[in-house]
Amino acid sequence: MDRRSFIKGTAAVIPATVALQMLGGGRWVLAQTSDFKDPVDVLNFALTLEFLEATFYNQGNAKNLVGGAELGLLKQVEVDEETHVKFLTDTIKKLGGKPVAAPKVDFGNAFKDRKSFLTLAHTFENTGVGAYLGAAPSLFKEKELLSAAAGVFGVEARHAAVIGDLLGLKAEGGVFKGARETAIPKDKVLKAVMPFIKS
Amino acid sequence: MAELEKELFEGEPVIEFQNEKDRRNFLKYATKVGVGSALVMVGAACTDQEEPTTPDVATSPDDAEATVDNNESPSPDGGDSAQVPQGDLEILNYALTLEHLEASFYEQGLKGNLLSGRDREIVAAVSAHEQSHVDSLTQTIQDLGGTPVDKPKFKIPPATFKDKAAFLKTAVTFEELGVTAYHGQVPEIQTPDILMAAGSIAGVESRHAAVLQKMIGGDPFPGPIEASKSMDQVLKAVKPFLAS
Repeated sequence: MDRRSFIKGTAAVIPATVALQMLGGGRWVLAQTSDFKDPVDVLNFALTLEFLEATFYNQGNAKNLVGGAELGLLKQVEVDEETHVKFLTDTIKKLGGKPVAAPKVDFGNAFKDRKSFLTLAHTFENTGVGAYLGAAPSLFKEKELLSAAAGVFGVEARHAAVIGDLLGLKAEGGVFKGARETAIPKDKVLKAVMPFIKS
Repeated sequence: MAELEKELFEGEPVIEFQNEKDRRNFLKYATKVGVGSALVMVGAACTDQEEPTTPDVATSPDDAEATVDNNESPSPDGGDSAQVPQGDLEILNYALTLEHLEASFYEQGLKGNLLSGRDREIVAAVSAHEQSHVDSLTQTIQDLGGTPVDKPKFKIPPATFKDKAAFLKTAVTFEELGVTAYHGQVPEIQTPDILMAAGSIAGVESRHAAVLQKMIGGDPFPGPIEASKSMDQVLKAVKPFLAS
């Protein structure tokens, strides 16, 4: 399905006004359906990101950079990401698709200290939030998948906020990224994570 | 949810609609989802005995009249701006009602000196977001040719603001409820742009819920996927906010 046929139905019901401007209309025109050839493609894109995150926490949490309650939270995040990996893998298989393999990763100097660990974690989570939102239009007609992806998106937002708080970032602009989340298009997401993917 | 209501509000009514039309519209959701008879509330015209039994808003003469009463001006492009599915407009008004509740709650809570330092910084940002959601949802509903629900009058029990713990605990409840409310509507929304708008707000509600949970020593990550609630379930949860 190309973008044109995707939006055809809605073009008729959305007036040519700036009706949705106030809610951030135009911020997601970047979420082009042509980014993905089918729902499995969207899910595999998400799976790659979840693999990256799960491996990141798996490695980072084992490095004694954080402790106490903070480590407890990060271990919960790690379990969430692992659950997302499993969920996406199972769903892709159920749809008759082939799940992508876990990428080989290299996080460079991210595990130098607590701050570098949490800072990259924060970046990954915010990227995940934007990526899911950006991909949402491509799942619009698949209501079950859409709901599930939205459910994962919300949890990524929780992770991002709490990690921002652990870092002691200012509330607005750090813990929160404004009153609304911003979608990130696929190409920008990939550009952001490519430095950490070695295969 | 019933226990939660009791715990938080002790059955006290905390919401009152500013006019009959809003009350009726809100009731319409309830009628639609089959909890109408369970809802009790006070409207501007509480003597009205006639309740709509059909969710079909567009064909109700009452509503046509109410629209005129509301002085709604025709849209600049000749009136076809109201072509967004009625269900989507109802969802936006449902979201707006919940955002009004949150915004009003934080506004009241921040008036006192319950919070200071980091806690206050976080909650002030949350409060500003809720007001922003109210503003943007209101504007959007108008721009799409709908009539935004007026800000209801809330009667939140004073005990909710008696100390920091009570205030934050209620905040967490509202945020978690908001998250599940948005997620419950994800499969119902028929217009992609409205889905994206709602989604971009829902993510922020998730951030609020998590950070506030952390603040009170709760669980910021209650599950790997956000829970969702239907309008029915959310309405039951907000039932105690409706004046009787």
